[in-house]
Amino acid sequence: MDGIHDLGGKEGHGPVPVATGDAPFDYDWERRMWGLARAGLVPSMTIDWFRHGLELMVPGDYLTYSYFQKWATNYLMLFADAGIATLDEIAAGHVDDPAPPAAPETTAQVIEQVRAGCTDFSTAAESAARFAVGDAARTLKQGTAPHTRLPGYARGRSGTIIAHHGCHLLPDQGARGRHVGEHLYTVSFGAPELWGADAHPADTVTLELWESYLVPA
Amino acid sequence: MTSFDSKKGADIHRHLHSHLPPDPALRVKALESLAVERGLIAPETIDAWVEAYSEHIGPMRGAQVIARAWLDPDFKARLLDNATAAITEFGFEGNATGHLHAVENTATQHNMVVCTLCSCYPFSILGMSPAWYKSAAYRSRAVREPRAVLAEFGVDLPGDVAVRVWDSTAELRYIVIPERPEGTEGWDADRLAAIVTRNSMIGTDRVLKGA
Repeated sequence: MDGIHDLGGKEGHGPVPVATGDAPFDYDWERRMWGLARAGLVPSMTIDWFRHGLELMVPGDYLTYSYFQKWATNYLMLFADAGIATLDEIAAGHVDDPAPPAAPETTAQVIEQVRAGCTDFSTAAESAARFAVGDAARTLKQGTAPHTRLPGYARGRSGTIIAHHGCHLLPDQGARGRHVGEHLYTVSFGAPELWGADAHPADTVTLELWESYLVPA
Repeated sequence: MTSFDSKKGADIHRHLHSHLPPDPALRVKALESLAVERGLIAPETIDAWVEAYSEHIGPMRGAQVIARAWLDPDFKARLLDNATAAITEFGFEGNATGHLHAVENTATQHNMVVCTLCSCYPFSILGMSPAWYKSAAYRSRAVREPRAVLAEFGVDLPGDVAVRVWDSTAELRYIVIPERPEGTEGWDADRLAAIVTRNSMIGTDRVLKGA
């Protein structure tokens, strides 16, 4: 969606917080949020629905909340959506009918889960690839509703295919709970194509783009 | 079950915005209570995840991989060919590194990684991402004015070095192989790993300090 999350190329956000933002965590609740999120709390969702959920936040909140504050808010939405907790239970911070507690896991166990969590998003190719490495390609001017991974700044631009990755799950469908593969490419764009003549002529920006985002240039 | 209904999701977000205090500590506390009471996770398991990503999984992993790449040309070739497979030699595969790619800095090419649409990051090899990586400033500006962003990190990039910015729009993740600095001849892997900074593997640091 053409939401507030699509930040690439937007101006006015000021300097990067290089020194003040060096640490991954500033507060204990951020650590708790990270640990919670690792545990796969909403088994029926997809990673694309999680990302789309963040995009659906109230725009002002998206811009002003910190990263883990966004996550906490999104997980509450995901809980309500999936029926894990009602809006009243979220407001109360407790459920009306608790389930048996989960068994605690050790650090060694979760480290093994990290290794097992090396997820493969590729799928078997069901059609021939439309583009080959070296081909020129142009991106569409519109994204797909409700979810796309084609950023606004790279729409309607011409680039060069520099890698083909076979087929990967298409996020546009994943956000709808569907598992559909499509050819995925890395496309390189010259900085002047994206940002105009003042950009450094040797600089490039590369994006991973699915076949349905592209037409021959 | 998840609805995958965008309107429903947006409606719930607006409800939460209007009815819940914004204090993030309270929201996380509520989320944890709900998850524990639903039997989805034990509080001790959250502690275990925090400890795993504080003590065991972090940028020191990536630094070990870079040091070996500097010392062992065969490993470096494997890393450039298929980084996901190469890091299994260390047992570092995992969260968000199922499609890991290593990209190499040279005298004429600098690589820099961003995720403009969210904040994708190769967790199992670099640990938790720094706050600046998730900031609106970095996400918005890295693709548009990478040289100005690099200058804020203290990187003075000569005009004859081209910048390639990798915007992580799919499930591919990137680790930058920085150049091995002069004055490190004869150093062993541990000594080399100690000078590889996290930021150099994201691409916001370039010239590492040798002897």
